Amino acid sequence: MSTILETKDLTKKFGDFTANDKINLTVEEGEIKAIVGENGAGKSTLMNMLYRQIPPTSGEIFLRGKPIEFQSPRDAIQHGIGMVHQHFMLVPSFKVYENILLGTEIPDAKLRFLVDSKKEQQECAELVKKYGFDLDVNEVVENLSVGQQQKIEILKMLYRNVDILILDEPTSVLTPQEVDELLLQLKELKAQGKTIILITHKLREVMEVSDSVTVIKKGQIIGNVKTSETNEAELAQMMVGRKVLLTVQNDHSVQESPETIYTVRDLTTNNTYGNVVVDHVSFEIRKGEIYGIAGVEGNGQSELVKLLSGMMEATGGTVHYKGEDITNLWANELRSIGIAIIPEDRYAQGLCKEMTLSANSIAGSTRSDAFKKNGVYDSKKIREHCQKLIDRYEIRIADFDGTVSQLSGGNAQKLIIAREMRSQPDFLIASQPTRGVDIGAIEFIHQQILDFRNRGGAVLLISSELSEVMSLSDRIGVMYKGKILGEVDPLETSETQIGLLMAGAVPQEVV
Amino acid sequence: MKSNKTLINLLNSVLPVLLALLIGAILILAIGENPFEAYGIMFGKSLFTLRGLTNTLHAAGPLLLTGAAIAITFRAGLFNMGVEGQLLIGGFMAGLVGAYLHISNPFLHKAVAFAVGAAAGVLFALIPALLRAYFRVDEMVVTLTLNYVMMTILEYLSSGPFRDQGAGYVTTPTIDQSAMFTRFGSTRLTPFFILALLVFGILWYLNAKTEFGYKIEAIGKNPEFSEATGLRVRRSIIMLILVSGAISGFAGAGHMMSQEYKYTLSFSGVTGLGWDGMLVSLLGSHSPLGIVISSIFYSALKTGADNINMYTSIPKEIVAVIQGIIILFLSIRFLNERFGLLEKLSKKKGEKNGPAL
Ligand SMILES: Nc1ncnc2c1ncn2[C@@H]1O[C@H](COP(=O)(O)OP(=O)(O)OP(=O)(O)O)[C@@H](O)[C@H]1O
Ligand SMILES: [Mg+2]
Repeated sequence: MSTILETKDLTKKFGDFTANDKINLTVEEGEIKAIVGENGAGKSTLMNMLYRQIPPTSGEIFLRGKPIEFQSPRDAIQHGIGMVHQHFMLVPSFKVYENILLGTEIPDAKLRFLVDSKKEQQECAELVKKYGFDLDVNEVVENLSVGQQQKIEILKMLYRNVDILILDEPTSVLTPQEVDELLLQLKELKAQGKTIILITHKLREVMEVSDSVTVIKKGQIIGNVKTSETNEAELAQMMVGRKVLLTVQNDHSVQESPETIYTVRDLTTNNTYGNVVVDHVSFEIRKGEIYGIAGVEGNGQSELVKLLSGMMEATGGTVHYKGEDITNLWANELRSIGIAIIPEDRYAQGLCKEMTLSANSIAGSTRSDAFKKNGVYDSKKIREHCQKLIDRYEIRIADFDGTVSQLSGGNAQKLIIAREMRSQPDFLIASQPTRGVDIGAIEFIHQQILDFRNRGGAVLLISSELSEVMSLSDRIGVMYKGKILGEVDPLETSETQIGLLMAGAVPQEVV
Repeated sequence: MKSNKTLINLLNSVLPVLLALLIGAILILAIGENPFEAYGIMFGKSLFTLRGLTNTLHAAGPLLLTGAAIAITFRAGLFNMGVEGQLLIGGFMAGLVGAYLHISNPFLHKAVAFAVGAAAGVLFALIPALLRAYFRVDEMVVTLTLNYVMMTILEYLSSGPFRDQGAGYVTTPTIDQSAMFTRFGSTRLTPFFILALLVFGILWYLNAKTEFGYKIEAIGKNPEFSEATGLRVRRSIIMLILVSGAISGFAGAGHMMSQEYKYTLSFSGVTGLGWDGMLVSLLGSHSPLGIVISSIFYSALKTGADNINMYTSIPKEIVAVIQGIIILFLSIRFLNERFGLLEKLSKKKGEKNGPAL
């Protein structure tokens, strides 16, 4: 093996803040290199420099021993370095093949200024087949699930023949099945001679596919190890600097005579194309209970959350909270009666990237008197509130007066959770609460959710992370094609049994 | 980082002005005059003499309001280009109230005229607001075309049913004394300027201190986030366009009662107060302080034109040339804001400075 990519004292500063501090990274040709580290450690920043999304402040990059200085991502791609971002950069209204070919359209043989869309479709279909992706190239991107969108991002790079593929937290948005599929695909790519740099917070994945691991902490490399010579616990300890519980202690303490606080009855809705996506869903949640929803992504969970959090309208059925009908209430009305909402997509629904931290910290409670003095906003109170969230949840920020766009993915997620928990709710709707969050913070967030439950709070937990649903929930409803197919007790059910339900097997056959 | 941004904003606004003045100076030199002297007279007379300054402030009143009317929609990512038409109908209706409703109490008379003017602006803005909120019809196109519809309707009304038969030209009757703002001493300044400042101040305060401003910012920057946090986007869009219409109508009514006193075909001046407001808002980067400064600067430029004519042999059209050049530069900026032109251009060149994440 020879070294394909190397950095020397690579440094990135944002103002006074050093996000990458003299990084010396070495990547061998044909290996899968895992990069791990806490939220805000500087992983994305490092990769963004390799891909020349952002220019380094100082230091050098060597490709096959030669110093290189890219001017743009396009430049990087031409030299064989491609990247799939933590947050996708697709054009939602375009079709799959149009997105794959964006910027490298195939011109028509005769009329050079036109695009030969037939040929484009053909080539993309071949590409999809070659790498065994399950994707219709003529589908419009906005109709696709996140997992499918990610495939497009990877195909985009493969189409451009990159040798080094950088993946920034590719698995955080995938279902377990999709994760396995992706990991297989990565191995396949490696077998075909590609070098892969993989950022992930999931140590299982690191152990499963990588050849070597680099650990980054606070902008510095603090360790390089061979995967075969380490284990999950050791990596976790290196990252966080202390022992981490990889699964939380959940005593599943269902209280005596629990009272029902949240009731969903026959909830139904259609999407914009008129298809029924949530189909007569019914469940109850009691005080002091975590009700989990498991299911393969795209079976109506997203829509169910949107329905319950005031972002979509129900066509039938009801929702009752503390005995009151709250069907189709607006998000701020829900929040005002003690329902907290952690939405699925942090940058689309949870936060506004271009607004300041403090403005985001009051989102959803903009009418609350807690932030006002004499009926108008008191910026001092708002800033104090925001500071409290940052302190309590150890959110790493560079500039308090800056916008949310400066936050790393995990820290942005923490800001949402901090804000929602701070409102002292009685009921919490948590959709993918730990997506993209580091293991130390996952432990913390899980503990927060359990403490909340133990204080008598009720939780609806939706997560594509089956182990998360299994370890936290007191009861699990499995969704399939918009319906709740069955309810199971996580203590008495195996992952395999739930997996069968998620695939649509009728409950009687399982139990 | 923050100061850097304000600096860029400042440059963005000042640069077009400086460039325009520079080109103007070259033209003045070409006619064989001294540009320093010309600009000295122009700005000296319109800003540094009591008479000039009060004239300038007087003319800045409506601009301040039309500028604000545009800015609040701009910040929310909406484009109310109908300020001109809303101002015209507001002025016209206030003119009718002033001339046909004989209310002897001067406060009451003006108050009714303001209310009717603002209401007219709101009603007229309702068309694009509903089209936008319920049918997603681009409000820019609708408001733009409705201006010409309104101009034509008002031309018909003022030359037909409401024409002052005694006058030798097309005009509505002059409003009653009780609907006219009295001037301060021998200046042209009236209490309307104070009123305009007050309305502007209230808007600014609401923007900075209440959910109103939060909504504007959030909707402008991320509609889905706004919806998810319970800010009703559709309702807010309607409300904002209506508020914008109300301010425009109010501005028209004020212009009627403090300057024109009757509706003629040149009620809103050569360039049009609504269009000027657009310029003012762009020049001031849609920020409150920016709008105050740019409205005063712009109206100094306008009043300065007369002084250039009076005191030098430079044709006053030079000011129109300078205005035109500013407009040209600003339209580039506007197109950029609306359609992301520069971004697209530089992206084509190779995605040089992508976002950090
Ligand atoms: N454009 C920016 N301006 C200012 N600070 C920034 C910017 N981009 C990143 N940072 C800061 O740099 C640090 C590293 O961010 P980065 O996104 O690289 O973290 P990360 O390791 O990828 O974390 P995560 O696991 O949460 O994605 C963070 O503290 C972040 O706040
Ligand atoms: Mg990251």
